[in-house]
Amino acid sequence: MLRNVFTKTLWDTRRALLGWALAITAVAVMYAGFWPTVDTPAMQQALGNYPQGVLEAFNYHDLTSPAGYLASSVYGLLVPLLVAVLAIAYGTRAVAGEEEAGTLELLLAHPVGRTRLALARFAALAAALALVGVVLWLGMLAVAGPAELAGVTAAELAAATTQLVLFGACLGAVAFAVGAATGRKPLALGVSAGVAVLAYLANGVLPQVQGLAWSRELSPWHWYLGGEPLTNGLQAGDALLLLAVTLVLVAAGSWRFTRRDIAV
Amino acid sequence: MAEVVILTEGLVKRYGRARGLAGLDLEVRQGEVYGFLGPNGAGKTTTIRLLVDLLRPTAGQVSVLGLDPRRDGVALRRRVGYLAGDFVVDGRQSGRELLRFLGNLRGGVPPARIEELADRLDLDLGRRIKALSRGNRQKLGVVQAFMHAPELLILDEPTSGLDPFLQQEFQRMVGEASAAGQTIFMSSHVLSEVQQTAERVGIIREGRLVTVERVEALGERAVRHLELGFDRPVAAEEFTALPGVSDLRVDGPRLWCRLVGPPDALVKAAARHTVVDLLATEPDLEELFFDAYRHHDREEPSHAA
Repeated sequence: MLRNVFTKTLWDTRRALLGWALAITAVAVMYAGFWPTVDTPAMQQALGNYPQGVLEAFNYHDLTSPAGYLASSVYGLLVPLLVAVLAIAYGTRAVAGEEEAGTLELLLAHPVGRTRLALARFAALAAALALVGVVLWLGMLAVAGPAELAGVTAAELAAATTQLVLFGACLGAVAFAVGAATGRKPLALGVSAGVAVLAYLANGVLPQVQGLAWSRELSPWHWYLGGEPLTNGLQAGDALLLLAVTLVLVAAGSWRFTRRDIAV
Repeated sequence: MAEVVILTEGLVKRYGRARGLAGLDLEVRQGEVYGFLGPNGAGKTTTIRLLVDLLRPTAGQVSVLGLDPRRDGVALRRRVGYLAGDFVVDGRQSGRELLRFLGNLRGGVPPARIEELADRLDLDLGRRIKALSRGNRQKLGVVQAFMHAPELLILDEPTSGLDPFLQQEFQRMVGEASAAGQTIFMSSHVLSEVQQTAERVGIIREGRLVTVERVEALGERAVRHLELGFDRPVAAEEFTALPGVSDLRVDGPRLWCRLVGPPDALVKAAARHTVVDLLATEPDLEELFFDAYRHHDREEPSHAA
């Protein structure tokens, strides 16, 4: 595990990463486990009384089918929020966090190119998210039977989880790019958190305003869930869009990183 | 003449604020131990960080081991050992873990070599770094800089935080490296730190190299403040005329003076009495720099001529 920057980065965060993967999966499994309770006439009626706008703001679109419920509860709010926090934490730490702590300098004084270092750090972020995705997927598969999630297949869960991972990578890439370009941790954290919140509003809240429906098309939240991967399977267009934005951000951040001074 | 290992010409580095380099010309030759001396904020660390491509010059030329730090940074840093002025690492790993990782980045360093260096410095590699004292962390920094026996060692205030015994061990390591043909470029703000090991000393002040001298010459000009105590009152007249002595003051059995150069004559004069106490301050760098400045100014007209 001490062979290179990529494996070392993962190794250094192994405990935290395992904790995140288990916590996110536990939250998802717990929510999924509530489905039999939600799928009762009394609960459906109670939910039906909420104004449509409120439900939409919380990403609650369809609570009458297992797939709709999962998209609203598990994949719709808390889990992507946790994934986003994890990705932003990794992305911020990747360059700017270590630079401000002073630990990046030692690595850069070794025969490691800046581009290589930056890419290894982002690759570690991507691998961490992928690991979370796999654990989450296994957890959902395990709970699907007991929670009576009829009609949601392993493939659809994999599709939604893949898009969730790409969504996380995209937000992580914002933090990474701002941090790599500037070396400033608070800026990386602030911008990426801001983008996450704006993206959320642009998906669920702004489109309710007359004439702002288009804002949804610009939101990574929409690219993640808008195509309903839990019902329709992997949305290649959305997935590629998330991937492309991620790659552009990583490339731009790394490019800028090779052209600036390293902070003391 | 030996090959030039570090060469800078008109090196300028401007930051947003005032500090930086204002046209530094530096030449370090292969196999020598070069002391890079200057007060805090003079530009020592800036120079060093430019040499390993952590900073990019505003203007001027830098060449290290014949390579451009910017273009050939990876190839260059393979042949360099670097110790930062503030050596910081993630504290959640053991020293052994860190050194093995850093060795791998350099294509592998034999574990026996790492253990040998750690033993020499009396460093426990098994402990987590955050449990180590500042001095022990500094030892880790020394080990990582030396372990791959690089052609060039760039050390920023390497002995800060080391106790006197370890400073001596460090100086032995520097001596051995130099004997093996390795070049050592080390900075300090204390003359005595580089006096033991360095052959030549470059003095930097306000971003410019003020003078380069052989270390003996610098020692001869070094200004010390001495305080002697005798068992009975002494007469000032006995000491005022001695070479190098000035600002003499005698108060009963105690004597204070300023001394430039070797203390031989003063010691012999004092030995006629019973000396009960002797205190000498570290050569004062500011006075040395002031002297170096005058020296520099004296030379300038001849350059212009």
